[in-house]
Amino acid sequence: MDDGPRASREATGLGVGERTPRSRSVASALLAAVRDPVVAILFLAGVFDGLAGNVIHSILLLAVALALGRERALGGGRLPSGASPDHGTLASTTPSPPAVAVLGAVAYAVIVGGFGRYSWPATVAVVVPAAIVLVITWRDASYPRREVAPLDPIGAIAWIALFVALALWELAALLLQPSLTTDSQAHPTISVMTDPALATHPGRSIALLLWVALGWFIMHQ
Amino acid sequence: MTSRGITVVGYAAFVLVAVGLHLRGTTGRSRITRLGVVFSRAMRSRSGRVGMVAGWVWVGLHFFAR
Repeated sequence: MDDGPRASREATGLGVGERTPRSRSVASALLAAVRDPVVAILFLAGVFDGLAGNVIHSILLLAVALALGRERALGGGRLPSGASPDHGTLASTTPSPPAVAVLGAVAYAVIVGGFGRYSWPATVAVVVPAAIVLVITWRDASYPRREVAPLDPIGAIAWIALFVALALWELAALLLQPSLTTDSQAHPTISVMTDPALATHPGRSIALLLWVALGWFIMHQ
Repeated sequence: MTSRGITVVGYAAFVLVAVGLHLRGTTGRSRITRLGVVFSRAMRSRSGRVGMVAGWVWVGLHFFAR
């Protein structure tokens, strides 16, 4: 009679349903990665962006999700040592950029705004600085920039509810399109509504300037 | 009202609510905090920082890059 699996369990001292310490550690590591909401959000966004036909964008989101998930699984990604988890003072405002940075941003927006949308020059002009910022952020250890008092639960719920509702509204508009890759004027997404403005050079330049300003704002939080 | 009108009014409502919450947060007497503080709080962890910057990168790619 073949009692191989049973003999194997007995030899290792493990019963049915019991797991080895290694499998337990792998499972807990995966759980730690999946439980990080940022990992989950980036992963879902990457999947949906891929389904919508934006392969390169999807790869970016999934790559960041996997890299962060791997880091969380290995025990990283927590607050740096010395950072207070819940106590602190109210955050100060974002510092104003120096004049030379403002001039550089305006020059960038005017020049890159002249490139055709989705053209290779525009792609390179956006991907290169964005990748540099992403790498700098990945390596940056000087955070948090300032201590921030915990959010009041009412305030946190208000902001989270707003962002979730906006995401659902956008998702509804996306799903009401004839297909995920076909725009609808009856149920426009944010992208469809901004298309007319981004079809012009001034519109692209203003949007690029706003994008750079948003990056400055984020990098200084 | 057309479907397009309803959709656009919905987006406008979200913008107005966001501005309202932010302005309420700047008074200092509300339980609502301004948007910058929400961002700072969300970006205290490494995954929060990287995730926020990845979102910013994605916006640039989505609207301008192929």
